Amino acid sequence: MPAAPPRDLEGLPPGLARERTSLAWSRTVIAFAAVGGAILKTSITAGVIVIALGVLIWGLVRILPDPARPGASPVRLLVVALAVTGVALAALGVAVFGHARTGPPHAPSPAAHAGHFHARP
Amino acid sequence: MTGAGPEAGAGPQLPAGPQASAAREPARPATQPAAAPAGPQVTETEPDARFTFANERTFLAWTRTALAFIAAGLAIVQLLPPFPGVPWGRHVLGIPLIVLGAVIAGVGYLQWTRNQRALRRGEPLPRSLLPRVLAVTTTAMALVAAVILLISALVDH
Repeated sequence: MPAAPPRDLEGLPPGLARERTSLAWSRTVIAFAAVGGAILKTSITAGVIVIALGVLIWGLVRILPDPARPGASPVRLLVVALAVTGVALAALGVAVFGHARTGPPHAPSPAAHAGHFHARP
Repeated sequence: MTGAGPEAGAGPQLPAGPQASAAREPARPATQPAAAPAGPQVTETEPDARFTFANERTFLAWTRTALAFIAAGLAIVQLLPPFPGVPWGRHVLGIPLIVLGAVIAGVGYLQWTRNQRALRRGEPLPRSLLPRVLAVTTTAMALVAAVILLISALVDH
């Protein structure tokens, strides 16, 4: 006979919710790293900064208390929002002022022709 | 932008924000339940931790969506070959996506703040504009991409 669910659901410890949130933070940091890697291909400085932001956020998640703790301030969420805005500004700068790929479509770019993108057969 | 949406007007008259409640009772921390009020005022209690975690996960999901838009916009501008006859096509497609990523990050944080305030007050959650903005913008960008491809194909032939 299955156990009856507890009457007071709010009294249950939020263990799995905390773990799911921790995994969501991990996915977000991985997304930061992926965007940093994409920017790294066109601008090394901006890419390194974005990847460093991901590492910084990961460290803040470990250090700062989560907002579910009474009295905790949502500093890390604000940091993430500001970091994404900064990444967007960096990407905007790279998109507007960066050296975009030129040349006709379906033709290898000069960098690819030099063997930077594809290995020579 | 107040935390009380159109659904939340059934209770007593609400102050403009959590600061108003804190201004009335400066000695009481916001995380403690308030005593029985003498007049119409909003009591804020710490919500269930699972709701706070769910709110935080929603914010993180919007953050990842914002990062995906930024990466897509950057890839369009930097990695796509130029459209024949439409040299500005990549920037028209990519830059709005990057700007949309920044907007989603900011609005996502505001949405988290509004949701958390509503949870503390026991009010209905406010409506989110982000899904509508996302749907409209994605549809618009798809239409713009189709037009650019059409122009490019016509010019190429």
